Amino acid sequence: MASAGGIRGFYREKKKGGVTKPSPKPYSTADPACSPVLKSAHVQGQEKEAEERLREFDMDMRYGPCLGLTRTERWNRAAVMGLNPSPDVEAILLKCSSSAALECLWEGRV
Amino acid sequence: MEDAEMGDGSPKHFDRKQAVYQNLDERYVIHGERYRGQQYSQIYFTRLHHMRNLLNSLVPKWKPHLPVHTILGLEEGKECIIIGTMYKHMKLKSSILDEYSKERSTVPLVKPHNFMHPDDHLILEDESGRVKLAGTFLAPSVYVTGIVVALHGKETSDGDFFVQDVLEAGLPPQIEQPLDLREDKHVVFISGLSVGSSMFNPLQFQLLVDHITGHLGDENEQSIASQIVRVVIAGNSVQISQGILSGQTLAPKDQSRLTEPIKEFDISLIQLAAAMPVDIMPGPSDPANFSLPQQPLHRCLFPGASVYNTFLSCTNPHQFELDDVLFLGTSGQNIDDLSKYSDAKDKLEFMERTLKWRHLAPTAPNTLGCYPYTDKDPFLIESCPHVYFVGNQDKYETRLLQGPEKQLLRLICIPRFCETGVAVVLNLRTLECHALSISTKLDS
Repeated sequence: MASAGGIRGFYREKKKGGVTKPSPKPYSTADPACSPVLKSAHVQGQEKEAEERLREFDMDMRYGPCLGLTRTERWNRAAVMGLNPSPDVEAILLKCSSSAALECLWEGRV
Repeated sequence: MEDAEMGDGSPKHFDRKQAVYQNLDERYVIHGERYRGQQYSQIYFTRLHHMRNLLNSLVPKWKPHLPVHTILGLEEGKECIIIGTMYKHMKLKSSILDEYSKERSTVPLVKPHNFMHPDDHLILEDESGRVKLAGTFLAPSVYVTGIVVALHGKETSDGDFFVQDVLEAGLPPQIEQPLDLREDKHVVFISGLSVGSSMFNPLQFQLLVDHITGHLGDENEQSIASQIVRVVIAGNSVQISQGILSGQTLAPKDQSRLTEPIKEFDISLIQLAAAMPVDIMPGPSDPANFSLPQQPLHRCLFPGASVYNTFLSCTNPHQFELDDVLFLGTSGQNIDDLSKYSDAKDKLEFMERTLKWRHLAPTAPNTLGCYPYTDKDPFLIESCPHVYFVGNQDKYETRLLQGPEKQLLRLICIPRFCETGVAVVLNLRTLECHALSISTKLDS
């Protein structure tokens, strides 16, 4: 029964503390826990190389299409089929900390 | 146990024979598979990989002096062998894009049952590329998309591959049955009961159930019935009228029409399951998933029959062993799809081709619904069955097939029971087959 302006005055809207920032892009080679500034150029170079190696693995036709599978699953499938995928790709995948690098190159983009 | 009344009033007991059963449906059950948006390229890749390994082992015995190339590695004029998946380009094959094309002149308004056309041509494809197949050696009417073969030929000047010879994988090896003097045991196959359809005749089905369970006939009949060790129902057991399945919410009085066919069928199943082991497979019209492999019908659909441990709900395709005799069969979708896209003199010839191509459903996933597997193709036939059956066919047909490596198998086309009144009885010991015909017409 009270007027609309009166109600609004009665119950003040309060904003929640702070606007949450959108999470960083899902595809990122850097470890999100570590701020990029603190990494040495050498480590960054290594990571780029690892990512290159993983992309090569994705694009290799011998192991079949890469879409729809995580890289680890694709590597395991290739191993079971006897296609001898290279062990250093497996090593990179096991060491990998960011979940983005476990998905194939086109995941989420196609 | 069946009882028979003898002349002096004391019943004679017949014990039903039993056979050792082993269910091999594990490869068709989908559990733990998570769909992650993958496409069908994965299943084609695994299919090509397995079949190529197989064909690579057979090529040296076939043409030892010729090299095997990838399609991209073809050189003009040089004779070689290529291995890949076949694709048949069909003019009349319906495509979803036809709805959007501006000119509709070539597409007929009435969809044909068979999509073949004299202009169809074949293409071979592997990971590196694809090449059109030329020459008259391969008749496109025989082949379908999805089979993996090895071809001997050479590249022509216009970039096509001129085919000189073809190698199919051929019948898989068969595990030999131990030859022992067993007694006669029978397996009964039924399919296409279509309970709930207008063609269903309850008396006919009840007569069949009574006959199999041994409640009909004199001593002779009953002793024959006691030799039946298993009943396999190969799909299309119920049919729910399409009008109810339109997706609109049903009025309460219509809801019973949805469940009536299943309930009626369950009652008959109880009688069967109480007497002997029953395997029931889903078919195209049953309440199961659409794409192959169809998962077993849920036990809640059969509250009466699922209580019995003789009742077994199976996948489609269905594979099992009975007294070391290997059975493999489907409810008909694989062969029906083949008959839409290729030609043969009878359905048995289609069945023979699927065995020679070592693939149960080569047109899946192209024109036949299929689960998008990533790491296996469960329809590859590794071991030759002794009995290969297909349900829901137009008529009863059977043939004994002999393979080049002493394989011996029985091919069976099970006709639709609602239309023909025919069930198929197989003798496990001799692999002989005959039709069991039930008629309710009084004047025939």
